[in-house]
Amino acid sequence: MTNRIRRLRFEHDEMTQQELADKAGVTRQTIIAIEAGKYAPSLPLAFRIARAFGVSVEDVFQYEGHDGIPVDSSEQT
Amino acid sequence: MNRIQKIAWVFVVCTLVAFAVSLVAVGILYYYVGMPRALCGFCFMGLAGLGGLASVVFRKDEGSVAADERDQLFQRRAAIAGFATAYMVMGAGCMIPFFVLGPSATIAVTWLPIIFMAAGISHYFVYAVAILNQYGWTGKGGQS
Repeated sequence: MTNRIRRLRFEHDEMTQQELADKAGVTRQTIIAIEAGKYAPSLPLAFRIARAFGVSVEDVFQYEGHDGIPVDSSEQT
Repeated sequence: MNRIQKIAWVFVVCTLVAFAVSLVAVGILYYYVGMPRALCGFCFMGLAGLGGLASVVFRKDEGSVAADERDQLFQRRAAIAGFATAYMVMGAGCMIPFFVLGPSATIAVTWLPIIFMAAGISHYFVYAVAILNQYGWTGKGGQS
């Protein structure tokens, strides 16, 4: 799973990791881990992060299948 | 390095120091009074309890959120690892005498609190090691 948190932070007036953490209700260490791809957040947290940026979850997180091929939403049942 | 990591570090260090001091004490007592009295040297394992002061010394981390879902996940995994270890230590403490001494042998009941203490201390030691292994042993890195 990849994410665009770092880019979105800079697009939102260079929001700091602490500011994003406060908006999402988590610690700064968790934001660092998510940005680095070391921690996959829960669904509620993913929504809170997306809401902090005012975008949808898909704009923040992208899921790639086990074989590295991006999963097309139209293929999902 | 967050507060949980600092507390875990203190507990790992206190437990290792207590274990080292206990082994030295048992060695010295064995020389003077022999077994089983030398086992009283394991009383120094009580020094591991000093690790409990860490939660008083280290104050709450800065920021509006002290702990979140990632912290809870790490603590849950560490607790499972700790309890699994304590279970194995208790199992080993019960089964090893059976196989070594035989089914008709008897052992002193003084071994029972020692086994119980070993299970408890191993639980907290493994818990602390698992915490540090997940967060990272330093202030950087860590796994998911």
